[in-house]
Amino acid sequence: MSDFLISSFTIAGIYALMALGLNLQAGWSGLLNFGHIAFAGLGAYATGIVIQAGGSGWTGALVGVGLAMALGWAVARLGRQLGSDYWGIATLAIAEILRTVATNEGWLTGGAQGISAIPSLFDGLPRPWNAVAFLALVLAVVAVAALALRRVANGRFGRALRLMREEPQLAACMGYDLKSLKTRAIMAGAAVTALAGSLYAHYMSFAGPDYMVASETFLIWTMVMIGGLGNTAGVLVGVLLVQAAYSAVPFAKDFFGFGSDLAGALRLGLIGLILLACLLWRSEGLIPEKLRKIPA
Amino acid sequence: MTAVSAPLLQVRSVAKAFGGNRVLEDVSFQVEPGEIVGLLGPNGSGKSTLLNLVTGFERIDQGEVRFEDRRIDRLPAHRIVDRALGRTFQLPSMPTKMSVIEVAMAAATAHHGFLDTLLGTRGARDAEVRARVEADALLKEFLLTPVRDLPSSALSGGQKKLLGIVCALMGKPRLLMLDEPTAGVHPNLRNDIVQALKRLNAQGMTIVIVEHDMHFIREVCSRCIVLDRGHIVASCRPDELSSNERVLQAYLGGGRAAAESEKVPA
Amino acid sequence: MLQFLVDTALRASDLALIALGLSMVYGLVKFPNIAHVQYAMLGAYLTFFLRAAGVPLVGAILLSCAVTGLFTLAMHLLVFRRLLRSGPAIAMIGSLAVAMLIVAALQGVAGSFPRMFDLPLSAPHEFADARITTTQLLTVGTTGLLLVGFSLLLFFTRAGRAMRALASNRALADASGLNAERITRVVNFGSGAVAGLGGSMLALSTGAHLNLGHDLLLPVFAAAILGGLGNPLGAVAGGLLIALTETVVTNLNFGFLFGKPVAFLPVAYIGAASFLILLLALLFKPYGLFDRQVRRV
Repeated sequence: MSDFLISSFTIAGIYALMALGLNLQAGWSGLLNFGHIAFAGLGAYATGIVIQAGGSGWTGALVGVGLAMALGWAVARLGRQLGSDYWGIATLAIAEILRTVATNEGWLTGGAQGISAIPSLFDGLPRPWNAVAFLALVLAVVAVAALALRRVANGRFGRALRLMREEPQLAACMGYDLKSLKTRAIMAGAAVTALAGSLYAHYMSFAGPDYMVASETFLIWTMVMIGGLGNTAGVLVGVLLVQAAYSAVPFAKDFFGFGSDLAGALRLGLIGLILLACLLWRSEGLIPEKLRKIPA
Repeated sequence: MTAVSAPLLQVRSVAKAFGGNRVLEDVSFQVEPGEIVGLLGPNGSGKSTLLNLVTGFERIDQGEVRFEDRRIDRLPAHRIVDRALGRTFQLPSMPTKMSVIEVAMAAATAHHGFLDTLLGTRGARDAEVRARVEADALLKEFLLTPVRDLPSSALSGGQKKLLGIVCALMGKPRLLMLDEPTAGVHPNLRNDIVQALKRLNAQGMTIVIVEHDMHFIREVCSRCIVLDRGHIVASCRPDELSSNERVLQAYLGGGRAAAESEKVPA
Repeated sequence: MLQFLVDTALRASDLALIALGLSMVYGLVKFPNIAHVQYAMLGAYLTFFLRAAGVPLVGAILLSCAVTGLFTLAMHLLVFRRLLRSGPAIAMIGSLAVAMLIVAALQGVAGSFPRMFDLPLSAPHEFADARITTTQLLTVGTTGLLLVGFSLLLFFTRAGRAMRALASNRALADASGLNAERITRVVNFGSGAVAGLGGSMLALSTGAHLNLGHDLLLPVFAAAILGGLGNPLGAVAGGLLIALTETVVTNLNFGFLFGKPVAFLPVAYIGAASFLILLLALLFKPYGLFDRQVRRV
């Protein structure tokens, strides 16, 4: 049981990082990034490829962050001309292209088999302490990221983003370069998400193209929307909730004894239902973004 | 008022068309430092478009715009503001998820870097404090302190206009361009605006006001430029307006009788 | 050469109807409905099950179209109309949720194993160097007929004019007395039915499988965007372009580039080709190839 809990929370933590990265774009900047998972994929693959080539985990993570930020920059440039929903489709397309490349360029990415035998970071420790240590690392990273992002959101940059999201003209006449703001927001979100991808690669000892399926982005969107778009605490709550629903299904499966197809369907259906219910009745999420208090 | 120094704003032969519709044709005028200039004209004369062109929210088709003797007509809007030219909007729309003080603080010019914010350095914190203090001071001057912590979208139309002015002022502009600052504003508030503008001007700010309200113009402006259907038809003192043939024609003659808000003084 | 044309026509007809439906509805609701491709998948599965229950193929397809159309209408009435009040972004995310639900429901009911249609085997017909099966012929033929019928409807009937008016300028159309809501409902039903038809015919060759919808997402959106969202016949043209590119890319021997006698693009990259076209389209012509107006996005 404790193994299961440790594992669940580790995964939840990794998703939390990705969700925080998405929140920066979707929540505070109003950018509909539907290819978000590509950033995580780059982080995972960078880690795998660098380690395979003999480099260290740190280098891998750094390379992953760099690549993701480069992709973020490119994607932001694409957004200069496009309306938000068109841009969302474009990001989806980019993520799919990257996934296709990852599946096919076996010489680089191991193809559909991916890259295995990525060391797990705390292999030196005996069980269960290696898992606990990893969990601690993940939680620490999430805590730092959440605090850092919240600080940024409450500062000048965050204010500019939040203004731009609703009133771009007003932001422009205050001297903010909207394109630059969007680019920086996406790049920052990309960096955090790539880190999550690197951690995931270490955790699973594996990096594969399935990390970048579109449904992963949709899952993270669900977490963010359910929890509360634009609210750091809300996002974390959303992650926990969705992860709980996801984890509950295998239990129900064992308890009620239904097949794995049904289990998969139930997982997906549950998430979809929660998301839809959320959008229909509480589109702000469970913990909506609140007005920030600025004492005189 | 000496006019030895170069004009603050120069608009030369500016033209703009939307589709086939020629909104502005060969518009030229100057604004000297320290003036309060009114930009008038009936509906459809092109006043707001002119404002948008000068402030970079629309691209001019022909001509040039110079601010402090440097061309600005090619610059994007946010760079023009950097040059100390501020503006407000006719129908100010304010964000729903930000309080009035936050919106005002967003307009602060104190730049501190992303890294500074992230690390919470002294520089960043000081800049935040300065921004807040400045914003609070301006809010107080424009009587918005009671609504300081409300969501900015909850303000009345008149209050939003004031907030717009506050935001423009936070940028410490040398030229302030206002788009119909008193339209839809409560008469009491209107007087406050008049006083505030006079105060600013006394402190050296040059102001251009796009307006309908003739009384307001007479109270505040030293000079008026009148547009009619995309052309400048007059540039004179406010008290000369009622005797100016072309002005009268613009407001009363041909097609649109602008009876609603234009009150041509007797 | 002829085979090349046949392949293009087949792929184009796979995409045409679904892209047409998507574009048609977008003109009225103004948000990209990600669930639309799943309606096609729904139609495919319904046809399969009806046929498995003994309904003859044509009847099964017709019935499935009707049900899919009704489902689409229901989604519009119950979900999207409400979500649109909060804006197109929320509606788009909502369509994501609906898509998830459709996939989940089908996975739960039908399982993840592809369901193949057991159609009577027959030798493909041969024309010159091209081969085409009867099923494929019927598919392309049906698609072609429908497109002709749709064009006639769009340009020569009052209903079609009303639809076009509504898509291009809603406020004006409303003011001129057109019943916007009723037209929107009818169009929703129609687009769903047509998507179901497209999906069913596609499934005749590939079988009804859980990825049917998702695999169509980007090619169909690419086609619709290339043609200009809101321009249904443009979407068909877009589909043709996508099909053409895919066929060219598959058949082109890139050996000359690498100094090798034979070098073909890996099959998986064919999908990427349409994504790439989509990206290029969005970069240079976000309002479609046929757009002549300059609009602020």
